[in-house]
Amino acid sequence: MKSPSFLASINPSTQPDTLDSVERAQIDASTRLPVLLFFGSAIFWLLVGSLLGLISAWKMTHPGLLDGASWLTFGRLRPAHLNTVIYGWASAAGIGVGIWLMARLCRVALMHTKLLVTAAIFWNLGVLVGTLGIIAGDSRSIEWLEFPGYSTPILFVAYAFIGVWTIIMFRYRRPGHVYVSQWYLLAAFLWFPWLYATANILLIWQPIQGSAQAAVNWWYAHNVLGLWFTPIGLASAYYMIPKVIGRPIHSYYLSILGFWSLALFYSWNGMHHLIGGPFPAWMVSASVVASIMMFIPVITVAINHHMTMRGHFGALKWSPTLRFTVFGAMTYTLVSLQGSMMAIPSWNTLVHFTDHTPGHAHLGLYGFFTMILFGAMYYIIPRLVGWEWPSATMIRWHFWLAAIGIGMMVVSLTIGGILQGLAFYDPAVSFRSSLDYATPFRIVRGISGFLLLGAHLVFAVLFIQMVLKLGAPKEGPALFAKPESKEAVAV
Amino acid sequence: MNRMPLLFLGIFLTFASSWVGLVAYPYFNLGRLEPLTDEDTGGYLPPARPGLAVAGQRAYAANGCVYCHSQQVRFSPLSTDIQKGLGPRQTVARDYIREQPAFLGTMRTGPDLSNIGVRQPDVNWHHQHLYEPKTVTDWSIMPSYRYLYRMQKIEGQPSDDAVRGLRGPHAPPPGYEVVPTEEAKALVAYLLSLKRNYPLPEAPEPASN
Amino acid sequence: MTAGVILLVGGLVFLSGSALAAFYWSVKTGQLNNLAEGAKSIFDEDEPVGVSTDKFPSKTRS
Repeated sequence: MKSPSFLASINPSTQPDTLDSVERAQIDASTRLPVLLFFGSAIFWLLVGSLLGLISAWKMTHPGLLDGASWLTFGRLRPAHLNTVIYGWASAAGIGVGIWLMARLCRVALMHTKLLVTAAIFWNLGVLVGTLGIIAGDSRSIEWLEFPGYSTPILFVAYAFIGVWTIIMFRYRRPGHVYVSQWYLLAAFLWFPWLYATANILLIWQPIQGSAQAAVNWWYAHNVLGLWFTPIGLASAYYMIPKVIGRPIHSYYLSILGFWSLALFYSWNGMHHLIGGPFPAWMVSASVVASIMMFIPVITVAINHHMTMRGHFGALKWSPTLRFTVFGAMTYTLVSLQGSMMAIPSWNTLVHFTDHTPGHAHLGLYGFFTMILFGAMYYIIPRLVGWEWPSATMIRWHFWLAAIGIGMMVVSLTIGGILQGLAFYDPAVSFRSSLDYATPFRIVRGISGFLLLGAHLVFAVLFIQMVLKLGAPKEGPALFAKPESKEAVAV
Repeated sequence: MNRMPLLFLGIFLTFASSWVGLVAYPYFNLGRLEPLTDEDTGGYLPPARPGLAVAGQRAYAANGCVYCHSQQVRFSPLSTDIQKGLGPRQTVARDYIREQPAFLGTMRTGPDLSNIGVRQPDVNWHHQHLYEPKTVTDWSIMPSYRYLYRMQKIEGQPSDDAVRGLRGPHAPPPGYEVVPTEEAKALVAYLLSLKRNYPLPEAPEPASN
Repeated sequence: MTAGVILLVGGLVFLSGSALAAFYWSVKTGQLNNLAEGAKSIFDEDEPVGVSTDKFPSKTRS
């Protein structure tokens, strides 16, 4: 922070592009404060968000639960759940992972730390004000954009700091190749403000008319997933998998191709949420085609990760990072193929408006992105605090609770949603039947919420132990064990 | 492999195209639709919405009704929405020009409300339903919105707007009555204004059979 | 209304501009050449290809 001035920092210097372990440790350490701030607050919001989701889930089968108060009604807790996990957890943790990865890949120590600390504070303030606004009854009820108009500028200021920092960092990188993860991260950090600003201006500050709002709404909501979370998740996977198993990515060409085809097709996807809605047919058709074309980036990523992992699957036994990351990467393939299928009109007409959609959303945001974030955090946090994870048993609990929890949730909602859709489709079947079909599956989903909350509590305890360096020291942090790290790990 | 630069350029420009197609086009085209004039009555189609209903739409947003109720009727060969009685015709862009925001919805945890004002025009029914949904539908999973109502002691004559026929654990005890707040009245006015059964040339009613 | 037009046109100019700039830059600096080497850019002398860098805390390295 002290050494280069702001102006000097956006002027690339020429330094050797090799890196030794001491320098790497310095770079990691330079990101400590802002990254831990983003991670810590993200875990807090993850707990809040899981609790809100759990209550909302049980309200769907037991409407009398906690009713009678305006601030506890389903229609406020559900958007509060969505926004805390999207902005409080996933975005903040993704920013943390992005900062650390960017510093490592640019091979420079973090500069302007205060910029990022300020950003973290503003970001959390924005999420807090927005969430309280929803609970208090100021929700806009525009999906993924429920935060009231007085909280979004705070988030935007926070984001501006992060965006400026990203560009400075990239500009100041050491010369050398720009790795595919940097492409993903840079693109994500540039796309997000543009998405968020467009959606806020056209939907909240100067709203456009009628059903055009829904088009912009889903252009935004789908692109947050596709052009913000997905690139950060893939950037992490493209770094963590090769680093953990010590093998370069199978086909670098495919990884670059996958990146650009993602940008191309994902951006057109949003309208598949509105098939049959009040829009010109070509808009919906374009989205359906783009959704099906998502096969290309998804299959390239899947082949690439599989070929990289081939012969190293045994490593899943001993690396927490790899276990979470590979779970996420495999889910990415699954959720994307499911998404392409859900965009096919004949299938969409069955599962549209049912529990199938939240099942799909959780598979994407949790099974893919959140699991990748967990994996990255298991890799990053020891290198920030200089302390090893205290308990392998707790990491296993975290993994299995999360994996079984999300599995139960997605399977139950997917099947329940199809049954519900069959009831909606058949004119001879009453509306009541759609509830009768869905209810048992919603109870299973409610139980899965307890497992996920449990997983998050375990992770929160682990995180607190790491930050406070509680417990007996474990054989020293991997980062500083230079002689040891030369040795290959038995598979 | 040396075609890659060309590939880049194509992808970049197509990416920008989604901005044109999914944001700019709706902005300049869908966002500029005008109401039609009803030749029979001289009014507008879709009809203007009373002020109370506009306030009611804010209550609809504040309490998150959109998370369980859609407001769109899909066209016929694609879906069975019309056969299921959600409305006489599909809903089209012009139906939503007065909506701020347009609550198309993505879930049908509860029934579609595109035409709830046609299906259920009774004000008292809506108040009963919002206060205690099980009063009118015993299998309903809708939450109670009784925080939009006041329970008060009847002084002299019962109030004109008191909700009649409430049952269940939150029904008023003898000598008490339940009256809607302004927010509840506005919300019901909004629900009653949801009538998308007027004729529009771009959305003919399918021949019934 | 005018703000909307400025936003739309500005957004398109910004998007296409950054796209062209990134394209020009990546060709000029040879980011698209020698892709096989690019994959190895995350490995260094002390964390070379073939070395694993993560494990459960209780598992000892062999």
